[in-house]
Amino acid sequence: MGREFAVETEHLGRIYRTREKKTEKKTLIALDDVTLEVRRGELFGLLGPNGAGKTTLIKILTTLLSPTSGVARVAGYDVSREAQHVRPLINMVSGGESSGYGLLTVRENLWMFAQFYGISSAEANRRIADLLETFKIADRKNTKSSQLSTGLRQKMNIARGFITDPQVLFLDEPTLGLDVGASRDVRAFVRRWINEDRTEDAARTLLLTTHYMVEADELCDRVAIINDGRVLACDTPARLKQRLQSDSIFRLETTPLDGLGAQQIAAIPGVRKVACHAGDGRARVELILEQEQVIGAVIAAMEANRISLLSLTKHQPTLEDVFVELVGRSMEEVEVTDEPALT
Amino acid sequence: MSPHLHKDVGWRLFIRTVLGRAYPRVFGYAREPVKLLIDVALPLIALFAYVFVYRAIHAPEVFIGYVILGGAMSAYWINVLWGMSSQFFWERQIGNLALYVMAPSSLMAILLGMAIGGIVIATMRAAVIVLLGAWFFHIKFMVRSIPMVGLVFLLTVTALYAMGMMFASLFLLFGREARHFVELSQEPAYLLTGTYFPIKSLNFWVASAASLIPLTLGLDAMRQLVFASGGASGMTMGFLSPKIECASLLVLSVVFLVGAHQSLKHMERLAVAEGKLTETHA
Amino acid sequence: MLETPWRSFKTATWLGWQIESNWTQPLLFALYSIVKPLAVAGILVVLYGLVTGGNFSSPMFAYMYLGNAFYTYVGAVMTGMAYAAAEDRERYQTLRSIYVAPVDIRFYLAGRGVARFVTASVTVAITIAVGIIFFHLPIRFWAVRWPLFLITLATGVVMLAMMGLMLSGFALLLPETSWSVGEGVAGALYLFSGAIFPIDVLPRVLRPIGFAMPITYWLELLRRSLMGSAPGIETFPRLSDLDLLGILVSLTLLLSAAALFIFHSCDNMARERGLIDRTSGH
Repeated sequence: MGREFAVETEHLGRIYRTREKKTEKKTLIALDDVTLEVRRGELFGLLGPNGAGKTTLIKILTTLLSPTSGVARVAGYDVSREAQHVRPLINMVSGGESSGYGLLTVRENLWMFAQFYGISSAEANRRIADLLETFKIADRKNTKSSQLSTGLRQKMNIARGFITDPQVLFLDEPTLGLDVGASRDVRAFVRRWINEDRTEDAARTLLLTTHYMVEADELCDRVAIINDGRVLACDTPARLKQRLQSDSIFRLETTPLDGLGAQQIAAIPGVRKVACHAGDGRARVELILEQEQVIGAVIAAMEANRISLLSLTKHQPTLEDVFVELVGRSMEEVEVTDEPALT
Repeated sequence: MSPHLHKDVGWRLFIRTVLGRAYPRVFGYAREPVKLLIDVALPLIALFAYVFVYRAIHAPEVFIGYVILGGAMSAYWINVLWGMSSQFFWERQIGNLALYVMAPSSLMAILLGMAIGGIVIATMRAAVIVLLGAWFFHIKFMVRSIPMVGLVFLLTVTALYAMGMMFASLFLLFGREARHFVELSQEPAYLLTGTYFPIKSLNFWVASAASLIPLTLGLDAMRQLVFASGGASGMTMGFLSPKIECASLLVLSVVFLVGAHQSLKHMERLAVAEGKLTETHA
Repeated sequence: MLETPWRSFKTATWLGWQIESNWTQPLLFALYSIVKPLAVAGILVVLYGLVTGGNFSSPMFAYMYLGNAFYTYVGAVMTGMAYAAAEDRERYQTLRSIYVAPVDIRFYLAGRGVARFVTASVTVAITIAVGIIFFHLPIRFWAVRWPLFLITLATGVVMLAMMGLMLSGFALLLPETSWSVGEGVAGALYLFSGAIFPIDVLPRVLRPIGFAMPITYWLELLRRSLMGSAPGIETFPRLSDLDLLGILVSLTLLLSAAALFIFHSCDNMARERGLIDRTSGH
């Protein structure tokens, strides 16, 4: 059994069968042939739009959902056949969680979950005190969780994930509901936690799903980009962005693109990828061009259609650009227009 | 934070989980005095209505004792229905069920913790009903054998909560129907189990079928033991002898406990295969 | 001026119906709407039959049976409205959106209560039909005093809606009790309202509670209007139908004023404490 990897999947698939009408069954492909390896001690990111399959993958890895094909292993144990060996080693936190009991205080909720992992009360209370200090909610430890704001509640949820000191921790959109400062604190803590000096056997691994590019870029050792249940690319953020280093990336803001659609812009020679968004009476166009000079042709096409250019910036490639390059549309467009893969 | 964290396993983990899960029920409930008052006082007042019905039709006084005892034991039935049978459904709604399944502790321990917490609360309600009812209506208890009453009570509660644990798994698969099924089960169970009248007054076969609900035989046995010789009226209203009812309750306890264990395993397997551990239904 | 209340009421009634009927097949839904209330009636039938040797032709049986049948409305409307407040806040989390919208929350809640009244009407009709067919209740269609019956029923809708509104206010203010306050209060009022036994069976010190409640007069009028000239037990033998109607209407008006005031106060306090959009985890 491979102990080198904290998480491994081989041709993992998950299909849901839904019944939309009494006589009509539909099949939803949530994951399709996903093969991944996450090394021990790694902070691994899963980046993709809503509905890409990130949460489905997390559910399988945390033994909450069985795959319909393929194999998944966590800490060397098969998640389907050896779930009882996986569970003592993992924990999971989801964004927007409402778990726990409203009539218990923050401390009591965390203590209760610690009991389910066999942690003594004394040790649990010590860890709770440390974590609440770290996340700056120590002053709310005796507040009933029903009286917490969304952000404070999410902090409590995140503390719940760390309290059991798991070997593999799964964070599914953990900073959802947190303000900028709190998100920063969480990211800093996550980094410290992973890097804490430990033996190789006790190395901690963290798998983070997010649709915030900045978060993945800042935190993750490696990132897998996922869309429509498939892994499109998997590498360090730097190497993923290097794919586009030779390309020129521009962001334009214009008046509405009447008469000039994304397809027509894409047809201009030298335009590799284009993504358009409309809103507030303006249009935002993201371009990946083979050469910088191609921008002239794009602007000329706009002028021919009486579209005014409001702003133009050239920038270094980001993971968002990598996504556009891989999928052909921005993450926002995918979320707005796509239905999940149905057959 | 210490890199090496000791975690209990085996029976120690089981006990920790039971106590951890019982905690919110017992201590959380205790810090809501208004809820406590409403959950105890209002049903008690409603129960007294049946006492006055018996008075209005000039029933022997022993029937009032039957009503009070039935009302006290119904506290456990209500807790089994709402606090056990449909509990996993609610836990899924708020996101706890996935966390329970994902934890290394067993779901049986979680259910047992829920049961113990529920028994503590229900016992408090039952005690209030018996004490206030006995005082208000001057009920005379003629207990034949206190150890026997204690045994019957323990077996009844064990069998009831084992049934609740079994239903907890099954009801999870029902979805929203679970709430309505639980609502449906409340009053029909009062009728079939003889909560407010001796079960002997029903047809033998109906009473026999109703004996599958542990409350039926438990209540009947306790009435025979607590109101020995049918009170001043001398009426014998027992369905079966207390010894037979005791033995039957023991069998039911074992059957339901085994059933709970099996249905829990089956539920978890099915829920993991179909992804139902994190679904929410309106 | 009436557009907002009417819109709120109409939409809420539609929504209430969708929620009540939306969880399973219509046939099963019909069964569930009938089994529970018939079980309650069954309890009374069994205990009455046991004590009186099956003397169902006695006026006392008709008194008890009809009172219980119509009391279904009390539970349905009061529980329904308090439950709606709890459900919309805790489960569906739509209460905040309703408050933000140009909706009159009082008429919204009343609409949810009326949806329950409609479903309860089917139940009441079936319960009475069972009573006529199987227990020979002395109700003759041609002898029913329909104008009195309909006016009383209509007044009752308003009365129950006002009581439900009051309880909804408490449900908003006390999240820990919101799920159980409706059912608990309806159950408690069962004792005082003369639903299943004449008020003079109660101890003297408790009777004024019954005399102060409009439900008591409402049930009495419904019984009188249905029984026509058949012999019956009258709680207020010296009061004519018109006297009772006058008392019912007066108490309903007083109750309405109190309910509107109490709801308004509870609503304000709930908003002050930020309870409208807060899920309590109960």
